[in-house]
Amino acid sequence: MSKYSVNQTVLREEKYLVEALKEMGYQVEVHPDGAPLNSYYSDQEAKVANIIIRRDQLRGAYGDVGFVRQPDGQFATIKDELDEYRGYGARWLGRVQQLYKEKQTLAMTRAKGYTLKSREVIETSQGEQVRLQFVARR
Amino acid sequence: MHEKTITITIDERGNSTPDLEGFAGQGCEKAFDDFRGGDMVKVERKKPVYYAGQQIEREKSRR
Repeated sequence: MSKYSVNQTVLREEKYLVEALKEMGYQVEVHPDGAPLNSYYSDQEAKVANIIIRRDQLRGAYGDVGFVRQPDGQFATIKDELDEYRGYGARWLGRVQQLYKEKQTLAMTRAKGYTLKSREVIETSQGEQVRLQFVARR
Repeated sequence: MHEKTITITIDERGNSTPDLEGFAGQGCEKAFDDFRGGDMVKVERKKPVYYAGQQIEREKSRR
């Protein structure tokens, strides 16, 4: 190894984000021009998102969870603050990012000529890790 | 010639860690960019082998 890095996944590509959420079992709404999110308190100002999971699919959630595209191209999460503590906080988002990154990586490697050699799922004290090994043809 | 392999580990917090074997110099940078894919770099360290690769590339270009 000649270089080592740890990278935080940034959600940019709608396709892989939608695929990741579907793999988690959600039916996802995609709204290129945005659509309002429902929240627990109907008098709260409606927030708008481009990708939405409705709360009837989110066990225990007070509101819908959405992803909105920001001016820099990244998707940001929008949700009821209370849902941060009801199973839809950093840990939930980390799982979304994990699935997104795997899908994005597999697509990138197919396009750029890397060959997938193995895929392993490793149980650790900090949760599941997905380990993908590739060979460069060049 | 050694096989060039890349192992990427993706954890449940959304962190990914690419680990390259058999690369050196610019080839290493290119592969890292491919696997970073626009993500935010939290930690980055170059290892001695990386610089050794750069030295070899410089020597080749002098010839």
